[in-house]
Amino acid sequence: MTMPPVAQHQVPGRRRRSPLPYTWQRGYLLASPALLVMLAILIYPLGYSFIMSFFRWDLSGSAPFIGMGNYTDELFGRQFNQALRNQAIFSIISITIEVVAGMAIAVLVNGKLRGMRLARTLLLVPPMIAPAVVGLNFRWLFNTQYGLVDALLRMFNLPDIPWLNDPTWALVSVIVADVWQNTPLMVLLFLAGLQSLPQEPLEAATVDGATPWQRFWHIVLPLMRPVIMIALMLRIIDTFRTFDVVWLMTQGGPGGATNLLTVYSYLLAFQAVDFGHAAAVSYIALGMSLFVLGLLYGVPWLIAKRRAI
Amino acid sequence: MSANLSRRKFLAASAAVTAGSLAAPWIARADANEITALLITGGPLYPKYWEKIVQDFTAKTGVKVRYDLLEFTPLTAKVVTLSAARSSQYDVYSTHTAQIDSYFNHFAPLNSYFSDSELAEFYPVAVKYLRDPKTGNLAAIPRNMDSRVQYYRSDIYQEKGLKPAETWEELVDVGLKLTGNGHYGLVVPGQGDPAQRTFSDLLWQAGGDWVDQANKPAFNSEAGIKALTFYRDLIQKHKIVPPDAVGYQWNENSTEFSSGTVYANFDWPGAFATLSNPETSRVVGKWSTAPYVRDKAAISCAISHAMALNGQSGRKDAAVEFIKYTVGPEAQRLQFDQFTNFPSSQAIAKEVISAAKGPQAVWLQQLETTIANGKEWPKLAGFSKVCTLMFSAIEQALTDQASPADSLNQAATEAEEIMRRAGAYD
Repeated sequence: MTMPPVAQHQVPGRRRRSPLPYTWQRGYLLASPALLVMLAILIYPLGYSFIMSFFRWDLSGSAPFIGMGNYTDELFGRQFNQALRNQAIFSIISITIEVVAGMAIAVLVNGKLRGMRLARTLLLVPPMIAPAVVGLNFRWLFNTQYGLVDALLRMFNLPDIPWLNDPTWALVSVIVADVWQNTPLMVLLFLAGLQSLPQEPLEAATVDGATPWQRFWHIVLPLMRPVIMIALMLRIIDTFRTFDVVWLMTQGGPGGATNLLTVYSYLLAFQAVDFGHAAAVSYIALGMSLFVLGLLYGVPWLIAKRRAI
Repeated sequence: MSANLSRRKFLAASAAVTAGSLAAPWIARADANEITALLITGGPLYPKYWEKIVQDFTAKTGVKVRYDLLEFTPLTAKVVTLSAARSSQYDVYSTHTAQIDSYFNHFAPLNSYFSDSELAEFYPVAVKYLRDPKTGNLAAIPRNMDSRVQYYRSDIYQEKGLKPAETWEELVDVGLKLTGNGHYGLVVPGQGDPAQRTFSDLLWQAGGDWVDQANKPAFNSEAGIKALTFYRDLIQKHKIVPPDAVGYQWNENSTEFSSGTVYANFDWPGAFATLSNPETSRVVGKWSTAPYVRDKAAISCAISHAMALNGQSGRKDAAVEFIKYTVGPEAQRLQFDQFTNFPSSQAIAKEVISAAKGPQAVWLQQLETTIANGKEWPKLAGFSKVCTLMFSAIEQALTDQASPADSLNQAATEAEEIMRRAGAYD
């Protein structure tokens, strides 16, 4: 079957003025309302907040242009650097645990053991719960006086752990909550990847006498690389956006010990009423997540290119 | 009629929807005799209170009020957002002394709408801290006073032969005698704004202040370090406060007392109603009140919930009429009856105090004394950002991440720079 020529769609007697083919014009025209809405609710605020980051923008009436002032204030500021350190620890530890544990559980539930179907269904539950609910639940679970976790420790005559009251334990607590919610998502992603792997190389390796670990390390893992990259990308983006769980568990405390970049930006905007600095922090966070993603994709690409040369 | 959607129809419909969306706010506000308000709520009684106030106001003036209710924290966030957007969505806002300096240029000055004699009706401390110190403009008008007294378990104190603490030393002594078996002698909040309020009270009591005569930070003085050390020691050294208190704000502070776990706290006027209600308290009839503790001085904060006029409002006269009604005698009497909110009008306060009997009368006297001696932190340019800095500094000292001296000295250096940049010294 052949496609009708484009000219057949033209109304007789009308001249085409645009250099774009007629179907393109119609496409753009039909998409224009959606594009306008996107422009209004996405691009405009993004651009506006970016401009805001170059001004001293509070509610004082005047908003003088201060160039990179907000950026330099923050980059050399104590609170920002504490938030940055927390963000790095939070992102690296939680993503590492989620990917490693996610892969291990995916391999386990991919097997033909009893109860695996139920396990796969249960894995859907944590990602389906709103982060705000997760934050509230973990706040109570980790409460020293009334929480379930310390109550269990007491049952075994173990000392209480000041989960949310000690700076180190507080960061551990928010990482635990994040890992609990997001590891199942990793499992589902990896499970989908494992189930779509070609069976021939694995069967060939089995025939050649490879151990399960050798099959996993030398065949499964390299074949799963694209899925792992996507999982890493999703989690890097997500950890740089994490807010609800931390806000509801600790509000960034105690003493800024769990202040992530998003929490710090929120505090600047809504408690310090300093939108210029808050916007600058948001754009530094965006820049950092893009940089990390660039490294994630760029380094392997460069290595591959070098090898090709 | 053809059911097919042509390109022209699609575009026309899209244009109509867009135009409708853009015009919606104006269409919705077509009634010239209507104002809008963003009002505070909290607890089940508030919606009924505002409903009655609005109904009575409309019956008297003919002006309709369309309003939305939000609790304190989301309300503050929304007012910040709307102010930043220079929105005219609401003509009237509920507000509070705490962050008022952020809105000095957004709320319309109320000076011209209230005569000097009308303003003299309100507690001077409330009016003073709602004014912009630079221009003298009144950013809001107080609706009810917010101050704290000591609430203690009279049954337990009597059983153990104890008296409510009057000084810092007694607070520790009494607390130590009451702490044990899963109970604590005292609870204080240790996070965010409530931690700063608590430190602020202790700072004034120790003889210090937030800034010196030149408006330079002075909270890291000897008195400041003494105050923060005492505050930290209540939790970390004497352990008379639950360890989780470093993550507590006002709700947890109140709940620890109303649940019966803790035997004393310092709480706001609303606690009197909450603790008397069996639905919200397990200690009904088992508590009493006493003045806030003192050290060198008997000072604690005296702030107020207030009403403000949006500077972008197009219906300022009607909006001011509503504001005046909400701070008027009828509204103040009603909010005292419903929530035991302490009136901002001195005349109405005297009226309710003279009508009160028994423990309520004693409590009202104690509150009035606190208000008479009360203070608030300065409303200087940039001080809202200093507050964010202080939350972190106080929390770091309370959790032993830094010594009180180190955390206050560092905060003072940064605070001066923040206020200098914000124009506090121009």
